[in-house]
Amino acid sequence: MTSRITCFLSAAMAAVLACAPLPASAAKIRIVTTLTDLADFSRAVGGNQVEVFSLATGIEDTHGVPMKPSFIPLLNRADLLVSVGFGCEHAFLPALIEASKNPRIQAGRQGYVDCSPGIAPLSVPKSTDHSEGDVHPYGNPHYMLDPVLAKVAVGHICDALEAQAPEHAAEFRANRDAYFAKLDAKISEWRELAKPLKGLAFISYHEEWDYFAERFGMKVFGTIELKPGIDPTPRHIEQVISGMKAEHVPIVVREPQFPEKVPKLIAQQTGATLVKLPIMPGGVPHTDTYIEMMDFILHTLVATQTKAG
Amino acid sequence: MSLRFSVMSRWFIALGLCAVVAQGQETNQADKVSQQLRQMQERFEQQQREMRESFERMLREQQAQIEALKRQIAGLPTNAPVVATTTNAAPSGVATADEMKELKGRVDSVIEAQKKVKPSEFNPSIGLVGETIFSYRSQGSNDTGSDRPGGFDVNQRSVELNVAAAVDPFAKGYAVVNASADSATGEATLGVEEVALQTTSLPWNLELKAGRFFGEFGRLGYIHDHELPFVNRPLVLANYIGGESRTDGLQVNWLLPTAHYVSLTLGLGDQFGGDVAPNNPGSSRLFSEVNYFGRASTYFDLTPNWQFETGLSGLINPRTSDRGGVFVQPNGVSTMTEKERRLAGLDFKLSYIPLRNNQFQSLVWGTEVLYSDGSYLVDPDGTPASGDEFMHDVGSFGLYTYLTYKWHRQWSAGTLYEWMQSAQNSSDVTSAYSAYLTWAISHWNQLRLQYTHTDHEADSGLRPDDAIYLQWAWIIGAHSHGWQQR
Repeated sequence: MTSRITCFLSAAMAAVLACAPLPASAAKIRIVTTLTDLADFSRAVGGNQVEVFSLATGIEDTHGVPMKPSFIPLLNRADLLVSVGFGCEHAFLPALIEASKNPRIQAGRQGYVDCSPGIAPLSVPKSTDHSEGDVHPYGNPHYMLDPVLAKVAVGHICDALEAQAPEHAAEFRANRDAYFAKLDAKISEWRELAKPLKGLAFISYHEEWDYFAERFGMKVFGTIELKPGIDPTPRHIEQVISGMKAEHVPIVVREPQFPEKVPKLIAQQTGATLVKLPIMPGGVPHTDTYIEMMDFILHTLVATQTKAG
Repeated sequence: MSLRFSVMSRWFIALGLCAVVAQGQETNQADKVSQQLRQMQERFEQQQREMRESFERMLREQQAQIEALKRQIAGLPTNAPVVATTTNAAPSGVATADEMKELKGRVDSVIEAQKKVKPSEFNPSIGLVGETIFSYRSQGSNDTGSDRPGGFDVNQRSVELNVAAAVDPFAKGYAVVNASADSATGEATLGVEEVALQTTSLPWNLELKAGRFFGEFGRLGYIHDHELPFVNRPLVLANYIGGESRTDGLQVNWLLPTAHYVSLTLGLGDQFGGDVAPNNPGSSRLFSEVNYFGRASTYFDLTPNWQFETGLSGLINPRTSDRGGVFVQPNGVSTMTEKERRLAGLDFKLSYIPLRNNQFQSLVWGTEVLYSDGSYLVDPDGTPASGDEFMHDVGSFGLYTYLTYKWHRQWSAGTLYEWMQSAQNSSDVTSAYSAYLTWAISHWNQLRLQYTHTDHEADSGLRPDDAIYLQWAWIIGAHSHGWQQR
């Protein structure tokens, strides 16, 4: 019996030792981001001084990244945790932060980077009652799809990095400004590209596109979801179809994390074009960076509009 | 006589006059008070009106301010700097970086002011869970061993009030108060299921929890009833643990500082199991009479979509006196009393949770095997201290395994198999199989239909039983049991 216990304890010790900390990059700032766009920005600003990991891979729902225990060691060792804010990650982030046992990244601490301050939120609900669905009390959190507002997030990441490693502040600022210049050039290009989209109405599965539509002059006709987080009822689908027909809405946007069945049905019934658009980098192939993703979204919409119209 | 009468009459008249005057004064005072009250009420109502008007005016102004600022921002050229840190020079007629900074500062202050009146900002967060079970069982309670009657039954199983908030920068506190209906009287009994303090910033990856809480043992032992994947707590958890893994004590959790997830928990408590009384509630309690428990768990990403989580758990109570009371044996005469409690468990969960549409599709296979090794004092004639008592160890196994498939955000179905030797008598075997269908109307409103067939060993005196359950669970307000109950 004693030898069995000894064997068991030896095996347990071996297992623990096998899991020993990875050597690596002690000098680098460890950043964990909730979403892939924030990871892209962190790499752009942090350059060689950072090691970045995103909890989402790009194809998930921004509100429903699966809570994997494998995230916990990453969060435990993180110097910075970068989040979208406005309650975007409320379904998974608070529990992960609690389990991380990392005081540096607890809400309100220096390592907790909320990118939403400075953004004027759209669709701030009058009531947070659940009869309105899974509403975000602080307003719509999908501002990252507006490239002008995304710059606010880049600014916050830069500020957090400067606070974390003041000795590299000049490098971070230079990286940020270089990224702003690149993004500004792209924003001008996207504005020009999006001119034919002005006034074009569309529906989407979830209310992800309010900021995007406002930036590029499009109109969000409605959502396939009955309310945020609530699946459509047959009656709601009928109303969406009849409304789209009456208003000649030509585009149905489906985000990758939602099933195709209902958007496809609505597109077939109304004669609209169904397009699958990513909501963060990596959502569809060849959209590994934020700029590539925005390129994809705008080119797809313009191509759809040209074809339809 | 007449003089006396006259004097008395005068006294009576004088007294009467005094009374009239006094009454008049009281009436005047009452009128005054009433008038003052009216004035106070009017003043209060006026102040209320003014405050409401002022608040509404402030809100309107803030809203107008936001709209105006939004229009200004929207009217800027494409590459106009949004953050103050942008260094591009502004063309004439366009806001400079400093002006933008000022504008944004004003917008931010308005937004922050609005945030403060959101109900979600209340501290602490409060939520309520209601859970009702409608059932029909083919056998009566005498033949099923259940505390619920056979035939048609409505069981208001829980009304769970959850309260949680940060205590200070170093700890959070939470409480779960539950009321459930008594099967005999129908009266709701209020009980504290959990009330604990949990540290949030201990060094070395440590976390301490103290109070009354669900101790870490196994996989579903510390899950609240309404969050189980099926209607009822598995038989083996009910029999070996005593319901939920509730304990009054403390536990320390250590997240190993490694690149791979390994979590270790150790704890102690003066009871373990929600349905049993504390151990040895006498005048003093030895450390050997306390329950010691622990769990080691780890996790593997098999692929991005397939996950495997496993854990080992243990519990020992070196000395118990009458936990669970005296167990009368099927012969109706001899008895057994637990004197030492040992429990070990192995659990695993294999999950397919596709990253892309995890809200709409998943497959979970969960299994937990428990081994109970209790020492009992056996009294063959049922007469205490008659000299024929002897100690007897009973080793028993029990398990449950379930498979749940979700094919729609609202719909999932599964099957559950249970097998268990009684912790007091390993030859007394109970097995059960169930099928369940869950309709999650929304995240906060869920219906579950379940069929369960239970078989008992013939010697147990219990009879095979078929049951149909309809569970309706709903949530209002905030609700989260955190990482442990993910």
